[in-house]
Amino acid sequence: MPTIGLPAGRVAPVTKPGPQRHRFYWHMLIPSLAVLIAVTLAPTVFLLATSLTPLDLTRPATIGDFTHPARNYWLLLEDRRFLNSLWVQARLSFWTVGLQLLIGFGFALLLNMRSSLLQALRTVFLIPMVLPPIVVAIIWKVIYTPDISPLHWAIQSLGWRMPALITDANWALTAIIIADTWEWFPFTMLMILAALQMMPEEQIDAARVDGASAWQLTWYVTLPYLKGVLLVAGLFRLVDSIKAFPLIYILTDGGPGSLTEVTNYYAFIQAFNFSFLGYSSAITVVLVGFTVILSWLILRLVGWGRDVE
Amino acid sequence: MPHRPKLPTGSHLTVAAARFHRRDLLRAALACTAGAVIGFKVSPVRGQAKKFAGVNISGAAFQSTYHEYLKSYLPEFEAETGVKVDFQQQAFPVYNQRMDLELSTKGSAYDFCNLTFIYSGRWVGANWFTPLNDFVKDANKTPTDWDAEDFVAGTTQHLKNAKGEIFAFPWEAGGMLMAAARGDLIEKAGLKMPTTFDELMKVCEAVNNKEGVSAYVADRLHHWNWIPFLMGFGGKVFRNPPEDLFPAFDTPEAANAAEYYARLITEMSPPGVMSFTDDQAMRAQMSGRSNIRTQAITWITPLVAHQESKVAKTARYALMPAGPAGNYPGSNSHGLGIPAGAKNKDAAWAFISWAVSKKTIERIVKEKGYGAVCRRSVITSDYFTKSLTLNGDSVAPLFLQVLELGGKTGYMKYRTVPVFPQVGDKINKAMERIASKQQGAREALKQAQEEAIADLKKAGIPL
Repeated sequence: MPTIGLPAGRVAPVTKPGPQRHRFYWHMLIPSLAVLIAVTLAPTVFLLATSLTPLDLTRPATIGDFTHPARNYWLLLEDRRFLNSLWVQARLSFWTVGLQLLIGFGFALLLNMRSSLLQALRTVFLIPMVLPPIVVAIIWKVIYTPDISPLHWAIQSLGWRMPALITDANWALTAIIIADTWEWFPFTMLMILAALQMMPEEQIDAARVDGASAWQLTWYVTLPYLKGVLLVAGLFRLVDSIKAFPLIYILTDGGPGSLTEVTNYYAFIQAFNFSFLGYSSAITVVLVGFTVILSWLILRLVGWGRDVE
Repeated sequence: MPHRPKLPTGSHLTVAAARFHRRDLLRAALACTAGAVIGFKVSPVRGQAKKFAGVNISGAAFQSTYHEYLKSYLPEFEAETGVKVDFQQQAFPVYNQRMDLELSTKGSAYDFCNLTFIYSGRWVGANWFTPLNDFVKDANKTPTDWDAEDFVAGTTQHLKNAKGEIFAFPWEAGGMLMAAARGDLIEKAGLKMPTTFDELMKVCEAVNNKEGVSAYVADRLHHWNWIPFLMGFGGKVFRNPPEDLFPAFDTPEAANAAEYYARLITEMSPPGVMSFTDDQAMRAQMSGRSNIRTQAITWITPLVAHQESKVAKTARYALMPAGPAGNYPGSNSHGLGIPAGAKNKDAAWAFISWAVSKKTIERIVKEKGYGAVCRRSVITSDYFTKSLTLNGDSVAPLFLQVLELGGKTGYMKYRTVPVFPQVGDKINKAMERIASKQQGAREALKQAQEEAIADLKKAGIPL
């Protein structure tokens, strides 16, 4: 599109703003920056500062005690329960994000077909995602509690026996993974479905003309097209999986033992059950660090922030 | 009698009604004098009725039937004193977490709140509550017959500091007893209610899964349920609380107790018992799916008293069985106190003194059948004994015995130290690891001991 006042094909040269204009830009930015600092940066700095103290609510003198600033971090290295929580978190995130992407992708392909029944079913599939997380947790608590569970009744009526999943050491984490996947696969499904509906028909048609099978179409055409969406959906779900809380709080309380105790749940226990705010802040700082690094890696994979040529 | 002018109506009414005649004054003075002579005693407190007109107070506690009953009587209290009460209730863990944070800031959001048993050492020790001794002594604030000494000693011990100041008055006492929902199954097996740990296991082995009923049931608060077994086997939680808080559960006695308890909750209990809440365990008994439970009286009297109970005719009651080292049934109590930062302390005290007065407690016992009370005069009364005679078992004396046991020997002190929440959590986790077969008893308790020591150091406790 030609620029107004210039001949077609000519583009106005980019000039650097003068000092006055530069100041003006800064003045315009200050309110937004102030809000950003108040809302994001200040709590983060406070969190970091608290993590350098042994702050314990029952001992008010500990609030500004910076005599051993690295103490909490050294203690973390020796804390088996913390290290275990990182491992539990990694497993939970790997399985929930993986399954949600896989199932979401499958359902999106299914719902992308031209069928009035499938169109109607789209809304039904969204229900788990729009339910309040605490309601989801209670639904699964009922499903997993043997004496009130319809699932257990059904299995028993067939003459089979099933362990109580949330208290069984071999099944507790799987039980959380199943519930979390059920709750959030509609999110990935929705994102992938939106991308599929934007996909140019020409690519599919061209591949079909070249004799590609349905499998080859999916593998060589659809999946490469969806790469960006899959990575973004995965990033969202990864960050969210690190915040997993209601399911664990209601279903297992981190147990049995510490088998389902993820890192943010452990931080919560340290802060709100034991009043160790300093220690809990150190756990949270480590968790934030991991999350930032992971997000950065994924964003690099997606390619955000690169100049578009 | 002279003609009295008819009072005008409308806007003149107030002015006219306010006119004071000399004869009215004389009549009132005469009536007061006569009343004083013939012995009408006007309580200083009652004399100040409506003293708190326009005052709003807020309070919080964890959910309990006692508070529900109190709330049903609140309009009467509000009409009498003029105080408007906003009484919020939350689930037990939620309440404790929120209040721990609120109290630590010495905030003024609440004028009264529950002083939870396991947090008592921490909340009282940190001076987060207001001493109530001066309120009790003041005849303008407390009726002289209120009787603070009427509370069973074991229920107020943890609500006081070393100086003898009291920070809350108990509204609920938990005395651990044993209830068998299907006592008939035990009788059919030719056995009696067990009195020792050995007998308990034998009874469980004999009746487990008979008629589809599991022999035992418990809730997931193992650091409450397991401790009587730990002490009964000769073990301890701390070396000598509150002076010496070195954890002491990495011992052979503790391992024996853990193995015994783990067997009860894995082999003798319904599947999934490790995730049971108090209410779930009670429902399992009430519906006749589970038989024996050792728990505080609040959770076991509904077996007979609750209208939905299917075991009302078969439930039996007894003391918690004794172990080789003695009998240590759990006991506790929760009180109502005034946070240090509260704004309306006088009005809050008016509420608390009403909520745990003998009159209110008597009324709740008589009208609602509530049984977990703390006043000796109520517990030993005929109506209480009668109301707690369940299927022929006289529960009231057992309940008093448990409360007194805790008070006499102080074996419950372990539970009121400031760091108990941390240590209790380690015990809970260890029990779960043992019961879910992740670790053996010795290994799990050793790990719990190490973790507890680390947390005690973090809390600045000298070991």
